[in-house]
Formats: sequence, C-alpha cells, structure tokens
Amino acid sequence: MKKMTSVVGKRVPRVDALEKATGAAKYTADIHLPGMLFGKIKRSSYAHARIIHIDTSKAAQLPGVKAVLTWEDVPHTPHAGQPDPRASSLACDQYILAEKACFLGDGVAAVAAVSEDVAEDALDLITVDYEVLPAVFDAEQALQTGAPSIHGTDRNLVIPPVIIQSGDIELGFAEADFIFEGRYSTSRHVPAFMEPYVCVCRPEPGGKLTVWSSTQAPFMVRGSLSEVLGIPMNLIRVLSEHMGGGFGAKQDLYQLEYLTVLLAQRTARPVKMEYTRAETFVAGRSRHPVVVELKQGVKRDGTLTARQARFIANSGAYGSHGPGITWVGSQMLSSLHKCPNVQIEGLCVYTNAPIAGAFRGYGAPQAYFALETQMDEISEALGLDPIELRLRNQFQPGDIGPTGLPFESNQLAECLKRGAQLIGWQKRHPAGSTKEVLKRGIGVATELHAATAYPDTMEVASAVVVMNEDGTAQLRTGAADLGTGAKTVLAQIAAEELGLRYEDIRVIAGDTDIGPYDLGAYASRTTYIVGGAVLRAAAEVKKQVFARAAVKLAVSVEMLESDLGMVRVIDAPERVMSFRDVMKPVRGETPPIIMGHGIFAPPNDYSFAAQFVEVEVDTETGQTRLLQVVAVHDIGKAINPAGAEGQVEGGLHQGMGYALIEDMVVDPVTGKTLNANFVDYKLLTAQDMPEIKVDFIESGDSLGPFGAKGVAEDALCPTAPAVLNAIYNATGVRIKELPASAEKVLAAFQTREKEEISEPLLKGTFRDSNEIAN
Amino acid sequence: MKQIIHLVVNKEAIEIGVEPWWTLLDVLRDQLELTGAKKGCDRGDCGACTVLLDGRPVVSCTTLAVQSNGHSITTIEGLLSGSQPHPLQQAFVDYGAVQCGFCTPGMVMSAVALLDENPHPTENEVRAAIQGNLCRCTGYSKIVEAILSLAKA
Repeated sequence: MKKMTSVVGKRVPRVDALEKATGAAKYTADIHLPGMLFGKIKRSSYAHARIIHIDTSKAAQLPGVKAVLTWEDVPHTPHAGQPDPRASSLACDQYILAEKACFLGDGVAAVAAVSEDVAEDALDLITVDYEVLPAVFDAEQALQTGAPSIHGTDRNLVIPPVIIQSGDIELGFAEADFIFEGRYSTSRHVPAFMEPYVCVCRPEPGGKLTVWSSTQAPFMVRGSLSEVLGIPMNLIRVLSEHMGGGFGAKQDLYQLEYLTVLLAQRTARPVKMEYTRAETFVAGRSRHPVVVELKQGVKRDGTLTARQARFIANSGAYGSHGPGITWVGSQMLSSLHKCPNVQIEGLCVYTNAPIAGAFRGYGAPQAYFALETQMDEISEALGLDPIELRLRNQFQPGDIGPTGLPFESNQLAECLKRGAQLIGWQKRHPAGSTKEVLKRGIGVATELHAATAYPDTMEVASAVVVMNEDGTAQLRTGAADLGTGAKTVLAQIAAEELGLRYEDIRVIAGDTDIGPYDLGAYASRTTYIVGGAVLRAAAEVKKQVFARAAVKLAVSVEMLESDLGMVRVIDAPERVMSFRDVMKPVRGETPPIIMGHGIFAPPNDYSFAAQFVEVEVDTETGQTRLLQVVAVHDIGKAINPAGAEGQVEGGLHQGMGYALIEDMVVDPVTGKTLNANFVDYKLLTAQDMPEIKVDFIESGDSLGPFGAKGVAEDALCPTAPAVLNAIYNATGVRIKELPASAEKVLAAFQTREKEEISEPLLKGTFRDSNEIAN
Repeated sequence: MKQIIHLVVNKEAIEIGVEPWWTLLDVLRDQLELTGAKKGCDRGDCGACTVLLDGRPVVSCTTLAVQSNGHSITTIEGLLSGSQPHPLQQAFVDYGAVQCGFCTPGMVMSAVALLDENPHPTENEVRAAIQGNLCRCTGYSKIVEAILSLAKA
C-alpha cells in the first residue's frame, strides 16, 4: 500500500498567488532604476535584404539619445539562441545584428535614450539603404531548386533531413488490406503570453551585470550572454522571479537580451527594453507551420501495418528550435500507435517568414493533428469505433517509445474509457447523420508526450535544501516558474519528504547567483526532474535532522518518522519533538549546519491523454461552437491537483484556439505580418469557452517524485484533432488544414453537399491496396 | 508641455504634471510606481491594465492621463485594507485562479466592478464581465469559479 501523504496531492494555494493577486509581484517591466534608459530596435522593412548602408548620424544627434548600435558596433559571433551544449542539433545562424535582414521585422539597429518616446523618434531618424533580395515564405517552395537561398544551405534546410525507420515499409504496405493517404497542414500558432518580451540590464562596478529577463531559462540567458559577448559567467547575474507566461517561446535568445546588455555597457547606465505587442508577435516565436504527408496501411480489423510520413516544418528566418521540433515531430509521427513498419522523413526549412520556435507541444501537436485525423478517417472507413481502433493499436508496457526508451507506465486505455463515460460517448451518432442546420458531434483524439527532452538533450536537475535554525527550511532551485506553479509543487515535494508543513518551506528561485544550475522550464520537465532533485536534497537533509533527533530522543535513526513539522518515534508516537526543538542549539554546542544537495538524471517517461470534444456546427455560417470538453490525463500523480487542472484547462484553451481561429498571417508577397495584435489575432475569451471536465489517472508508477510525470505540454497536443474530428462527426465534413475557420467549414460543407448527390460518402477517403497494386 | 492634473488615486489626492499624450497606465506605472496594472498590448485589447475610474472599469492604456483629471482611480493596490486582501483577491488565491498572474490585476478589477453593480451575477454574466480580459494560462475556469464563489455568498 502506498504511504499516505500530508502535503503532496493537496490543493495548497500557490506560493506566489497572493502577491500576484494584490499587484505586489514585480515582473521585469515593473523594474524602475535610477538613471534608467530605454532601448528600442529598428526593424527591417523588407523580408530579405542586404544592408548597403545605415546612416545613424541624425539619430545620434537627437537630444536624449545616448547610444546607437548597428551591426558594425556589435560582436559578430554566430549563435544558436541557446548556449552549447543543449539540444542534439543546433543551427548556429543568428547574429546580434547582421548585415542581412532575413524577415520583415528583423532588427537592424538599436538605440538607447532617456525615454521610450525619444528612442522611438530616434528610430525614425535612422535611414537604411537596402539591396532587396528575392524572398520565399512557403517551406515547400523554399525546398525547390531555384528558390532564394537564405543561409546558403542545401535546399534551404536548417539541418540534414531527419530519418526514422523501423521494420520494412514495403512489406508493411504489402500486408495492408487498405491504404490511407492524406496531407495535413497546420497554422502559425502564436503563444500569445500576456507579458511581452522584456529585459533590463544594470551594469555594476567591476564589470558585473545584473540582468532581469522574462525567461524560462535564466541559466541559458547567462550562458548565451557569456558565450556570445565573451563575459565570464561569474560576472553575470540573471534574475527572473515572476514572469507573465512563456509556453516554450521564452527559452531562446535572439536580439533582445544581447542588445539590452550592449546598450547598458555602452552607456554605463541601466537600460530597459520592452517589446510592444506587435513586436512580440512579429519578432517573437510561433509554432512551426507544418505540412505532414501521411500514408498508412491497415488490416481489415484496424491493425496498422505500415506508416510512411514526411514532416515539413517552416522554420522562418532562423533555425531557433526548428531542429528540435523536427526531431520531436518526426519521433512522434513514428509513435503514438503501435506500428511495426515505419519510415519518417523530417525536413526543417528556412523561409523569410518570422521565426518559429519552441511552443508547448514542440512538434507533437502538428504530428498528432495528422495522425489523429487520419485515425478518425480509418475508423470511419472501416466502420470501427474510434476508441476501439486506438485500443487495437496501443502500446504495451515495455514497448519502445518515440525516443527509443521503453514506456514505464501507460494508462491510455483507462483515459479513453473514463473520458468516454464523462462525455457520453454512447449518445454519439453516425457522422453527418442529423438533418438540422445546427449539427452536433463528438470527437476524440489521444496523445503521449515525454516528461523531459532526454535523450535529445542530456537532462539533469539539481536542488539545495537548507534547514533554518528554527526548523523551517529553504529550497534553492535554479528552476524558473513561468506561471505554471513550479515553485509551489517543488515546495510540496520538499515539505512531504522532510516531514515539514508546506508553509515552512521558503522557495528561492529565479536567480542564477543562488539557485544551482538548471537547464530551464521546458519540455514539461520541472515537476518530474527538478522535483526528483528536490526529493533527493530533502532526503539528504532529513537524514541529518533524524541523526540529531535520534540523539535528543535517545533512539536509533531507523525508529523515527516525520510529518507536518514533527519528528516522532514510529512505535511510540507520544515520544515526539518538533523540528524547531530538534534544530535548537544546545548551550555550549556549535549551531547545527544542515543542508542537502540532490541531483536527478532519470531516463524519460511519458504521459498520456485522451481528449473528447462536443461541438455544434452551424451549417449555414460554418461557425463551430464548443459545447463541452473532457480531458483525461495519465500524469502519474498530481502533486497539486489544482495546479495540474489549471495546466490542462489552459492547454485546452490554447488547443481549441489552434483548432478554430488562431493563425498569424504572413502576406505571401511581402512577408508582412498582417494580424500582429489581439483584435486581428483572436484568442478565445471567457465567453467562448465550453464546459470543461478534467480528470487524472494517477497510477503513480513513474520514476518521477511520488510517481509524477509531465503535464503541461500534453494538455494541448490532442485538442485540435479532437475538435476537428468532432466537426466531422457533426457534419460529415473533414477539414485537414488548421484552423477550421468558419469560412473553411462552410466551403467544405457546401462542396460536400454537391458531391453527395453524385458520389457515395466514403469514396476518396481510402483506397483498397489491391486496387493500387493493379 | 506638461499639464497639471488632479486625481484621487486609491483614496489619496494627487497633483501631478503630465504630458498630454501620456496614458493613465503610464502615469500609474512610471510616475506613481503603481505597477500592479500591466501593459499587455497598450491598445486596449487585452484588459491587463484595467483600473476603476469612478468605480467603472476602464482600460488605462487607452485612457489619457488628462482625461482622468478630476476623477477617482482605484487600482489593484487600492483594494487592500491595510495588509488585508480584498475578498476577491483572496478568492483568486483560494481557487487557484492565478497562474502567471499577468492578467490577474485587470481580471480582479473587472470582477470588482461587476460585483459592485451586480452582487449576484450568473455564470454567463461573470463570463461577459471578463470577456475583455484575456488570459492565456487558465482557460478561465478557475477565474470564473473564484468570482462565482463570492457571487453566491
């Protein structure tokens, strides 16, 4: 039987909730320093252009302007946006400022001035002569011979093609009774965190720098600044106590942090640089638009025999996380359902579009959009229940996962079963079978996602726990909390393991001078891997506390247990002592120094989820209304159920927006971003959200602390295909291009109505393999 | 040229010189050091800068400081009684309605305005009242629950 927990598994309030709810929490933009200057970036008006000449003389003479930088004034060191070593493949293709602009909005110069107004005026006084180069915005066009070359690579590829193969693909297709083929394309989905990019740098005596940055990875900011600017790490302190969301995108550097630091060094004054919302859209990071060409072979009973796919990712102007997401997207395409014969090719392609980067799901949502849509097509064509089809192709414990490691735990079947009950799956009717104008339908999709980036990144985490002399404790971590509740969860784990109360733990995070090294908050890793390090640090401290308590209680260490701030003898609970009394120094004795360090470097583990969506589609307008969503997630263990629910609810919000309305539109002629604001790039509001039910399967059999696995990214990975499968179930119309806007749904519905008169419903969705052979 | 304006901010009378193009949000954040209201878009789309002007919610990023002359402003900081949080602030904490927290001050102010005018709103009325406040972390579920917890009381 599992041990009962006192702090873990409880809905404790977040450690930082009150300061945030009262407006007291200081975010980077809230920092005002004496003598502070304001930085701004001059941005390219062309998508692809060589800079012939920049004239900054008028800007430099404007009263209040303190510094102007162009590519001639900054180190010309190529960088990857992240320090080395990081991911398994990196594109070292960016410069702080370059002679060439690679997208419309690329920074070409920077100024620092006494106010933002003066800085903006100065930007207008900078004149740039460009040699405009031919540009390309579509990844498939960029691959063609004769396409403009952006960084001089073969076919504009960021990295050589990713190839994943197993079994014998020809044999697999030969064994199939049916072959399904489709092309699935996804949109430019934007993380749209509420806090724009922002950085503040204060030069300190002795060449030291204090940098406040809205970053998910303070140690990566420190490492990148050190590498690219040639400053030793002991002179750089990066602070990121509170941040207003990141969702993956705030984990690599492009121009902001470097330029803020260089302007501060140049002027010897603090500098703040805050992107506008438009800059946050255009010069931030989006999800990669991807085209997936997918071909699968299946037996009559629904068993998969072969899967062949091509994943073409539009990386935009620079590599950023393109190599990583192309690996993950290709890996995920090879997985999710068990298939013996697989051949995947992943292509990551430069274009002159804005930069795509890391965003919650990291290649998986695009892969699953293709896989889970086609699974729905297969179940429809074979007359199999979509749940049954997935169960017939599910992985078993010990099977190998997408990153080459075995699954430690897998509760997907239970997720599907419970979700079907909660949504009322039995009331689902055949696709497009209702006659009403407002048609209702239910869809399902599944996912799996790793809890760290291992083995693509060699993962490790650490933590330090220090006892205070009154029996309370400090937890020092290098992990960042981008809003997820990481600090809260880590405090719960420390308190549970030590046997302290939650409120006895003070979490110190977001300071590279204090926390031990951490790679950052990404890949759904913090609870799993940093939590594991915290558990080990706390265990180390507990050992020392028990050694001291054993003397005071005159028993052996093995006879002790602790809970909620008390240490007691296991078989004699009346022999009890508070942590305070255990720690209390005895007169004549040196005060006890108790601290522990934990390091955790586990292999990966996978979370699973099944999401069910019910929609109502207005067939006269194409508008989809979300009625209810059920998300059942196998996350091992919810350390803080309220926090875990919040992660899923937020992921669903992003996933439903991805499904229906969100797409940053880049003009195909000029490369100009057309909707870089919240009126034209819409997010779902509180009124657009359906009823949401979140449930967890907590088998607790993972390698993570108390059996916990990852949760954050999983939350949106299956949402879009679940919504679009529901639209199909409602209308009989299959949309294979995100988002399923009202225009697309209406046009597809009208086309289908015409076709239905002459052709049977299912024709064209699959081909019998015998026919192909002939 | 700067103009002198008079405001009552969180019950305190303030006289301050402002440029005619300065927004109320910039004056609150940069001049009065009230950084609770956030700048998420600076064009009235996201609601993170919501404050109360004579008790009604406004987006302070598209309200000029000079337009506020002679008016009473309440910011998130003004909801506290001493160190005691407002019941809505406490509800946001208790219901797990805060994640990154960047939208929270604006969200709370919109909710305060709603409950002042309509102490017993329905769920739909709550959702309508915060539809101008964007949140990217929570899916709004726990925010709506937090506000409704006081609506029922």
